Amino acid sequence: MTNGEIHIRDAGVSYRLYREKVSTLKEAVVNRFRHLRSSETFWALRHVTLSIDPGESIALVGHNGSGKSTLLKTIAGVLMPSEGEVLVQGRISPMIELGAGFDPELSGRDNIYLNGALLGFSRKQMEGKFDRIVAFSELGDFIDMPIKNYSSGMYARLGFAIAQDVEPDILIVDEVLAVGDERFQEKCKARIRDFRTAGVTFCFVSHNYEAARELCPRSAVLHHGRLAFDGPIDEGWEKYRELERGPGPGPQIEIG
Amino acid sequence: MTELADTAPAAGTLGHPSRRSALGELLQYRQLVAVLVVRELKVRYKRSIFGLLWTMLNPLLLMVVYTVVFATIMKSPQRNFAIFLLSGLLPWLFFSIAVLQGLHSIIGNQELIRKVRLPQAVFPLSVVGSNLVNFSLSLAPLLLLMAVVRQPFTAALLFLPVAMLILTVFTSGVTLLFATFTVFFRDVRHLAEVALQMLMYLSPVFYDLQMLGQHDAWWFRAFRLFLKINPLWYLLQLVRDPVYYGQLPPLPVVAVASAAALVALFVGFTVFNRLAPRHIHYL
Repeated sequence: MTNGEIHIRDAGVSYRLYREKVSTLKEAVVNRFRHLRSSETFWALRHVTLSIDPGESIALVGHNGSGKSTLLKTIAGVLMPSEGEVLVQGRISPMIELGAGFDPELSGRDNIYLNGALLGFSRKQMEGKFDRIVAFSELGDFIDMPIKNYSSGMYARLGFAIAQDVEPDILIVDEVLAVGDERFQEKCKARIRDFRTAGVTFCFVSHNYEAARELCPRSAVLHHGRLAFDGPIDEGWEKYRELERGPGPGPQIEIG
Repeated sequence: MTELADTAPAAGTLGHPSRRSALGELLQYRQLVAVLVVRELKVRYKRSIFGLLWTMLNPLLLMVVYTVVFATIMKSPQRNFAIFLLSGLLPWLFFSIAVLQGLHSIIGNQELIRKVRLPQAVFPLSVVGSNLVNFSLSLAPLLLLMAVVRQPFTAALLFLPVAMLILTVFTSGVTLLFATFTVFFRDVRHLAEVALQMLMYLSPVFYDLQMLGQHDAWWFRAFRLFLKINPLWYLLQLVRDPVYYGQLPPLPVVAVASAAALVALFVGFTVFNRLAPRHIHYL
């Protein structure tokens, strides 16, 4: 496998549903630990097979709860597939949520190092990136202020600035472009286009047709956890519209 | 763009999860543990005037209290009872506070665990790390007190780093185990609080075997038997022997303590890694 390659083979992710999620030892004893076995299984994703080549850009499209985020999290390695296989090669920059892992009490400076460490970078490597990150974020002297005092725009800018500087092979973006003012959004999009021309694999989730079409020629449409369509973005979007209109089956809960 | 990526650890590389060594991955993220330890200390002592000094002031004030209570009010027969007590209490506090804080660390970091892929063991381990820093700093006032009450300093004190290493290995294992159990059963936390409270009195913190004397009652024999199988019995001696008795702990004690530490770490790490992929469904 070369860097930037993603292979998903018949993958499924199941969640267990509980009537009452909080489990206490007493309940467990009373139910004889039954809740640890699966009682009701909800497949957020099932029988998904998808291959993405290095340098390809793909938009994941689907209604709320269709499994887009679950698929992204599986690719990012946050979730393990319950069945099937997910093979991902290369460094991933997960922009699933900008600023995940920020500590509000710490300064922007400390948070850059903290976030770098969370992504597996050493302090020394982050020192090399530090000035570029601060420059991209346009935070200036605010970098030494605790980030709990940041505006949400500043917060997102710092998050994007870090995420864009980790030399990813795979870039995962989940609706994060809706942050910051218009000028900063354009800057982010330009950066993403740079990545694409540099051959970075790009997975994008958006409900915005224009943004998706602008960045991705290919689309994968998810519907109730299944892959409903895989192909050009225009056809994919049509399929998505069609599915959204149709009644479609409800979420599938299997009792077992 | 790729040249730096080559030198960077391939954080995002994941083959089939079972094929990757959990230990290797954890080692890749050792810097993260260091960063988390620093964060924990920074956040804890932010805006406090004395900052990190509190870790030393805390035991110092404790010592004053214990010295007054046991040396003047209760008239303990033991010479320099405050030193005796602190040589058991400081390692005990390190162990118990690390376990109690660490068992909450997976739930406390769930926002991160949901979004970023990383070896989750870094969270409990960083709690152990920050408490180890506190423990080390709290030894300074202990040594100061030893000088004040003219407790002899011997070469056996050089054993302390080894003792702390063994204690840290043991604490890490127990913390990992409790951290993963707490995800599945939230009442492990409350259970642990009570259990640790009881364990404190069943461990040589406030007393040791010489002070117990001899009784022939069955409960005393049961109590002694429990002390013998309690790993903390051996672990706490590693600190008290050099500090209070001015001698190296006996070799069998060191051997049992080390074995207990290694077993705890092995079991804790193995169970933790087995259960870690399921955490996200229970958070």
